[in-house]
Amino acid sequence: MTEQQQFGEHDHEPLGADDILSQAIGQWRDEAPAKEPWPGVAARLEPRTAPRRTHVSFTLPQLAMAASLLIAVASGMTWLAARGPAAPVDTQPTVVAQSEFTGEVEGGIVNANFADAQFNAAVTDLEQILRNERERLDPRTVLVIERNLKTIDLAIQEARMALNDDPANAYLNSHLADARRRKLDLLRQATTLASAGGN
Amino acid sequence: MDDVVLATQGDAAAFERVYRAHVSRIFNLARRMAGPDAADELTQDVFVRAWQKLALFRGESSFATWLHRLAVNVIIERFRTLGTTRERFLADSEAVLEIAHATRTKHLDLSMDLQAAIEQLPHGARTVFVLHDVEGYKHEEIGSILGVSAGTSKSQLHRARQTLRVLLRKEA
Repeated sequence: MTEQQQFGEHDHEPLGADDILSQAIGQWRDEAPAKEPWPGVAARLEPRTAPRRTHVSFTLPQLAMAASLLIAVASGMTWLAARGPAAPVDTQPTVVAQSEFTGEVEGGIVNANFADAQFNAAVTDLEQILRNERERLDPRTVLVIERNLKTIDLAIQEARMALNDDPANAYLNSHLADARRRKLDLLRQATTLASAGGN
Repeated sequence: MDDVVLATQGDAAAFERVYRAHVSRIFNLARRMAGPDAADELTQDVFVRAWQKLALFRGESSFATWLHRLAVNVIIERFRTLGTTRERFLADSEAVLEIAHATRTKHLDLSMDLQAAIEQLPHGARTVFVLHDVEGYKHEEIGSILGVSAGTSKSQLHRARQTLRVLLRKEA
């Protein structure tokens, strides 16, 4: 017997109006504090002249690593672009980044913005295409793509973690959007290349 | 300009007006969740935390909703600081029915009975009951706040209700 069956199928749903608990809650009046809390609050407020902004600083090794990651991703994408097909492939959807998601799929073009749901859906679609077409790519190309995707995923993960602590940070938000845009671009290029037979 | 925006910019007078607009709701949430003895201090803690975190309020929900959620978190943090671990926070509710059978309270009006009865619940069952039945949270939201499954929230609510009904009928 499940816990729910044991305790009743509906005793976790909203209370009925005739339930003694409903009546008791209805009569449970608000009260005023016995002692005014404001003086205690005011005494503990630290002066502040503007919204606090977290200063993002990096050590020299961190900056060097970030620069090398950027160069690696840029090189990989340039290399992929250089190996790209001469003509567009009609049968595969193309992801186009834009500011507002329209939800429309017209003429094989999937419109996507960088909101989580749309971004994830676009990435899932492109990854599926890439999995299906993977064997048509040169193994060295696959290696470069996978290495760059890992690098970008790491950047996305780090930006998300930093944003958990400081969600309003404009730099971090921009960094996350940029990393996600790079991921979509890379996947789009890779799928286009795979669809063209890796040539 | 909106008092919340002014307070975000460091205007303490605007923050006091924000406090005046919301203090009753926050105090009564604290009283219901943690009891009258702890409510005054928790109310202060909530508004001090709100002042510290105002820069993070981005207007995605109403300010009242943001403040309410912050208050719930502050109150639950207090329970945990007092040594009520997550496991114990919820496991204590197993003993709820025994408490109910062993306890007799004075004859009071129904709302006073509820206040007296709810103070006999462990923190976990009490939190789930107040958030769901009084404040209107969904089990999924409660699970997310407490770090448990929606199913655990449901079984806690069942136990809390069962206990409170027993206690209230004793008074009837």
